[in-house]
Amino acid sequence: MSQEQIEILQRALKREKAARKAAEKILEDKSRELYALSEELKISNEKLAASVTEKSSQLEGVFKNINDAYVVMDIKGNVLKMNSVATNFFGYDISKEKLNIVKLIYQADATYAFESFNTLLNTGSFSNYTARIITKKKEIKWVQINATIIYDEQHKPIAAQGIARDITELKNLEKQKEKILKELEKSNGELYEYAHIVSHDLKTPLRSIDALVSWIKMDNEGSLDATTLQNLKLIEETLETMENLISNILEYSSAGSGTSESQDVNLNETMLNIQKLLFIPEHISIQILKELPVTKGDPTKFQQLFQNLMSNAIKFSNKEKGIVVIDYVEKPSFYQFSVKDNGIGIEKKFHDRIFKIFHSLNKSKESTGIGLSIVKKIVDLYEGTIWLESELGKGTTFFFTIKK
Amino acid sequence: MLKLEKMKKPLKVLLIEDNMIEIMKMNRTVSLLKAKHEITEAKNAEEALAILETKTNLPDIILLDLNMPKINGIEFLAILKNDPDLRHIPTIILTTSDNRKDILECYRIGISGYILKPLKYEEYVSKIEIALSYWSINELKSA
Repeated sequence: MSQEQIEILQRALKREKAARKAAEKILEDKSRELYALSEELKISNEKLAASVTEKSSQLEGVFKNINDAYVVMDIKGNVLKMNSVATNFFGYDISKEKLNIVKLIYQADATYAFESFNTLLNTGSFSNYTARIITKKKEIKWVQINATIIYDEQHKPIAAQGIARDITELKNLEKQKEKILKELEKSNGELYEYAHIVSHDLKTPLRSIDALVSWIKMDNEGSLDATTLQNLKLIEETLETMENLISNILEYSSAGSGTSESQDVNLNETMLNIQKLLFIPEHISIQILKELPVTKGDPTKFQQLFQNLMSNAIKFSNKEKGIVVIDYVEKPSFYQFSVKDNGIGIEKKFHDRIFKIFHSLNKSKESTGIGLSIVKKIVDLYEGTIWLESELGKGTTFFFTIKK
Repeated sequence: MLKLEKMKKPLKVLLIEDNMIEIMKMNRTVSLLKAKHEITEAKNAEEALAILETKTNLPDIILLDLNMPKINGIEFLAILKNDPDLRHIPTIILTTSDNRKDILECYRIGISGYILKPLKYEEYVSKIEIALSYWSINELKSA
């Protein structure tokens, strides 16, 4: 080998060495990187594992702790898993016996149950399925179920899970409420009939007495002295008072009963009716400031309500020109009406008392002390409130609200 | 008016009423009138049906109180309006009850009037006088 050749080989060897060194260095770097990466991976794996454990124990907790029955079943309805609530509720222990969900279906609700199960399979979920089920102890319970399908990676349905809430108590309460309402309606109706009969029975003798007094007067015309005639007149007036009392009590007793289904009430028509019915003296003017709204309720009751307030305003007018002003403002959930007069006014200390039955401030033939209690009862019925502003000698304004 | 008085024919009235003084009121009222109406009294629905069942000498009109024991006025009205021989007789309710349900039910079955008995005797006299006058100027089946 020539010197030259040796030198070439040595240089080559040197390059090789350098290259190998560089390669080793790269390898070393890479493996260090890899190591770091694997360490990182290990940490994140641990983290993941921890979080899976955490999640599954969370799920387990949810599964155990929810107050509703939780059931997992296969597509054929065989129950795979139940929480303790479900075990207690349905009465079946699936660690000891097999249970297919069909067994729980209450016969009368079967069609609905199968339809809902089909919906579940086709759409993947259903909510608020409400029906009866039958437990192992043959108890019938009302349940409300929300369910979803569980799919595998190929999106093939493999199982279904559902949460069932026991609403038996709720259903029973609902039924009870319906029953009570029906009974209440019936006894209200009976009471109304009864009030009419009683008022008839009380009014008949009054008519008899009035006829008898008339006959005594007619048959003894010219021979009765002034005192006797005066006394007979007092009897007649007393009869009128009694008559008004009976009519008003009848009106009062039927005012509060939530009657027949509510209908549209055009209050402008109500006002026209009232103005036809009420005796409005020449010196009194009724002013309706704007077109009144159409409310919902019983037209008779709205008429009673306005008629009582307006007849009071007329009755207690003491000015040369009496004015009765009807107005209202509309609020989001109610109407606020006002009936204003320029009459005698009501002292502050009586403001609470006047709505109580038989608390007439002015005892007279027409004032039985029932009118405002009827008004109050009707306002209560329509979930409103009533109050007044008044100045003695100047006038009174009654305000009341009616729920829309 | 005089002419009209002559046109009025006396009516055969069947009064179905259980209250003694109410019957006295009717009789006294009718006795005040010029037309000589003939009042037949029945104290209850059973008595009235016994009178009507003979189907002879039927009344021109019936005045019917609603509140009666056993068969009440509305039940009686239903029986009357179901009988082909009696259903033509104009029946006017005479009562103190302004129960809306009763009023509607009476008109549903078929009545020729619903008169509320007023408190005042004078008002009663004018109401009865008007009602009887009206029916006495009518052409009736029995006439």
